Amino acid sequence: MGPQHPSTHGVCRFVLKMDGEQIVNLVPHVGYLHRALEKIAENRTYLQYIPFTDRIDYVSSMFCNQGFCLAIEKLAKVEVPERAEYIRVIMMELNRIASHLIWLGTFALDIGAVTPFLYAFRERERIMDLFEMVCGQRMTFNYIRIGGVSRDLPSEFIPKAKEFTDYFEPKVDEYEYILTNNPIFLARTKGIGILPKELAIDYSVTGPNLRATGLKWDLRKDEPYSIYDRFDFEIPAGQNSDTWDRYMVRIKEMREANKIVRQALDQMPEGDFKKRVPVLFKPPAGEVYTRVESTRGEMGFYIISDGTTKPYRVKLRTASFSNLAVLPEITRGCLIADLVAIFASLDVIMPDVDR
Amino acid sequence: MDSEKIKKILLEKFPEKIEEKEVCDFSPAFDVDKDIILEVCRFLKESQELSYNLLSCMVGVDRGDGFEVIYCLFSFSQKHKLTLKVPLPKDNPEIESVTPIWNAANWHEREIAELFGIKFLNHPDPRGILLPEDWDEGYPMRKDWEGKDFVRLPEKK
Repeated sequence: MGPQHPSTHGVCRFVLKMDGEQIVNLVPHVGYLHRALEKIAENRTYLQYIPFTDRIDYVSSMFCNQGFCLAIEKLAKVEVPERAEYIRVIMMELNRIASHLIWLGTFALDIGAVTPFLYAFRERERIMDLFEMVCGQRMTFNYIRIGGVSRDLPSEFIPKAKEFTDYFEPKVDEYEYILTNNPIFLARTKGIGILPKELAIDYSVTGPNLRATGLKWDLRKDEPYSIYDRFDFEIPAGQNSDTWDRYMVRIKEMREANKIVRQALDQMPEGDFKKRVPVLFKPPAGEVYTRVESTRGEMGFYIISDGTTKPYRVKLRTASFSNLAVLPEITRGCLIADLVAIFASLDVIMPDVDR
Repeated sequence: MDSEKIKKILLEKFPEKIEEKEVCDFSPAFDVDKDIILEVCRFLKESQELSYNLLSCMVGVDRGDGFEVIYCLFSFSQKHKLTLKVPLPKDNPEIESVTPIWNAANWHEREIAELFGIKFLNHPDPRGILLPEDWDEGYPMRKDWEGKDFVRLPEKK
């Protein structure tokens, strides 16, 4: 199956050993999108590398920007102005919604429901417009910088974003109305692809996939970075850790993200949007490992600085890499048609795996 | 548990094989002798008070005069972190695989083995992972690697 298969969401190949319709063994082959981003990092200055981080996970680029900048800020002890923190949170949570919408659309499409795809992309378009207004880009934003963000919000952004949060809330009900209790959807997802909690932890599965097993673990809540401790939001969790639970966790996360955006817009202070740092930024020699809660789970950056303008080593710990590694375990004994549903429900992005 | 306590437990259990290091935001950090890595990791996971059940990340580093493998560990129950760093010699770098302890190590080790040429002993699936199947240009993440299209940019002043 693959590498050019419509449901592999990128370029991924599975070698399947079948017994009739049942999967006996599955071996994923990855690396088709390997762009050597870690090697490139050793050859670029810190600022030059930010656009490359966009390409790690192109549907939630804000988290990659934020993770990289946050790691350097911690290493070099750069203080970020309050307004910049709020802008970052708004951008990240909008990005989370946009990314979950892509996931929802393609997931539903994979199991045969075409309508949610059109609905999801309709709402996502509005978020893309907001991003375009702020940084001129609809994807690969290159917006977050060391010490802040690249430019301030335009004056029309806040009313437009508020309008979006009000508009979006009832739209989630619409998705739920077509999917959540739909008998065909239930038959394809309930009790399918069960990922037990111990197995998930053993394979370092994080993010919504881990929360669907019932473990309420979210770095935003449990280890708040940036200003996440100032917002009131819930961490949704599942019970049966099946495909349906993974769907439900993401649906609820969209609502919570919307809540955070609304609170952040209300609390937004005036002030600087960026602390001035030199273009040829030199963090002190040292090592740092920082994780942020991206759409797909823990996104970690291990950065080793030798005090020069270029990093000595950058390791990208991406959530999809670990989330995909568990797939052979949970598809053993499943029907081949369910593989598509399970794989889609893990929300793996191939460039995120291959880097 | 705080860093001081973890440090005390480890130094008592493995005297003279462990040395404290510094990693920002993921402390405490220790240098560990490569011969005891499997033993240390098993202890870290199975000990009740430590119970590091999540292998968050594994990093390979070329230090110029040798290699290093870094393990970033986390415990969901105790909510504490730990970084282990294992220095390896430049010639014939070998280390015991920790895949039997955390399955998450499987793909990370395959990646490090392929990109750095570090051999993981007793690895259950020692294939490559990211590079093309017919790759024969050596280990690209090494600092002295020369590729035909690779240009090292000069340091900016």
